[in-house]
Amino acid sequence: MEMIKELLIQLFEILIYPGLLFLFVAALLADWIDRKLYARMQNRQGPPWYQPLADFVKLISKETIIPKHAVGKHLFRVLPYLAISAVVVCIFFIPISGSLALMSFQGDLIAAAYLLSIPTMCFFLIGWTSSSPYSAVGAMRVLTQFFAYEVPMILVLIGPAIVAGSWRIEDIAYYYSANPSMMFVNILGFIVALITMQGKLERVPFDIPHAETEIVGGVFTEYSGKLYGFIKLAISIEMIVVAALFNAVFMGGSLGLEGFLGFLLFCFKVLIIILISAIIRSAMARVRIEQMINFCWRVLVPIAMLQLIISIIARAFHG
Amino acid sequence: MKSIREQVAAWARTKSPWIIHFNSGSCNGCDIETVAALTPRFDVERFGIVQHGSPRHADVLIVTGAVSKQQKDRLVRIYNQMANPKFVVALGACAAGGGVLQNCYGVLGGADKAIPVDLYVPGCPPRPEALIDGVVKLLSGIKGVENAK
Ligand code: SF4
Repeated sequence: MEMIKELLIQLFEILIYPGLLFLFVAALLADWIDRKLYARMQNRQGPPWYQPLADFVKLISKETIIPKHAVGKHLFRVLPYLAISAVVVCIFFIPISGSLALMSFQGDLIAAAYLLSIPTMCFFLIGWTSSSPYSAVGAMRVLTQFFAYEVPMILVLIGPAIVAGSWRIEDIAYYYSANPSMMFVNILGFIVALITMQGKLERVPFDIPHAETEIVGGVFTEYSGKLYGFIKLAISIEMIVVAALFNAVFMGGSLGLEGFLGFLLFCFKVLIIILISAIIRSAMARVRIEQMINFCWRVLVPIAMLQLIISIIARAFHG
Repeated sequence: MKSIREQVAAWARTKSPWIIHFNSGSCNGCDIETVAALTPRFDVERFGIVQHGSPRHADVLIVTGAVSKQQKDRLVRIYNQMANPKFVVALGACAAGGGVLQNCYGVLGGADKAIPVDLYVPGCPPRPEALIDGVVKLLSGIKGVENAK
């Protein structure tokens, strides 16, 4: 009896909360909020609340074309699902409504960072298997951009881990809940993280891999129907997961609140991150790929290094 | 009676038309108006209309201008690259039937000479409001189209 109950609870956690269903709803909502904010900043009405759902259902019900010249037809079909499953697995390491995550082990911060880079790799392979000139150029840009933003991103994720003295996301969130003033030590790192997030999610000003005006749809040019719907969903879910990760690592997770209140706080902080991202998106234009690399390596990496030194000093004084 | 699945799909289709714009030999007047319709002033995202660059992603093909003999193959290829169900809007007098260019030596005629057209928007060039009205009318008529098939 006990075993069945445990199994049911686990199934509930994986399929409903904080697993697939929760992420699905949250991703669609986040997508809508982002588009609505973007529209309001341009002084327009923006899409109705069901817009992302309608987009998704429409794409699901459309014909899916597998191009004749795609090199790996099975790979072509599997990659969107691989991207989506990687980001969904990542949420299990991150505490959402309380101070506990679904799964946790020493070093899961690194595991989460790696899981978050799997979709990028999938997008690169997607461009590769499509074997169309536009997606090939897009795939190249995905990889180039990946090497630019990933380094500062990982560097700033290390900062809070050093201050908290643990590589567990749970412990880091718990440490900051206990010492909220230590959050200000990482403020530089948080800013860098927010900027690199735009690169990770391929949003303006770093939407170079799928610049419509230059290379049609970038890596996704050949994707249609169901597969494209899942790619879009994967990107939206990635936004939620990255926001949740930043919430746990930089903003102190649930700040000691449990249950429903903790959940509200989580929603509030994710909303703030989406708002900042939308502001960046509407205030800027796309940069060129070499400008982006210069910016990441010449500006963001030194700031991230500085943050690392600050973290180590803070750890020495406080810890 | 249509099944619930079909009804949901039809609802989603009417709420999320992604368009692709193709110039098949226009004088550029219609293209300017199409681009004007996509500016924040007209806010077509209210109806879920988003422009996509790739024909694989789009649902509605907007053809502007009379189809020239050279562009015909390209137009047909773009049309074939789109995923079903797909719709075509012929924008402007030229796309509808050749317009002022109809007797030119290199011109085939309206867009319907090359691909099946679902809706014609008249005007030379049509105003952005006419284009938006056309796409919205097309969508409200989609259910009827489905039944006829
Ligand atoms: S309808 Fe008028 S504006 Fe449009 S392509 Fe023809 S001549 Fe140009």
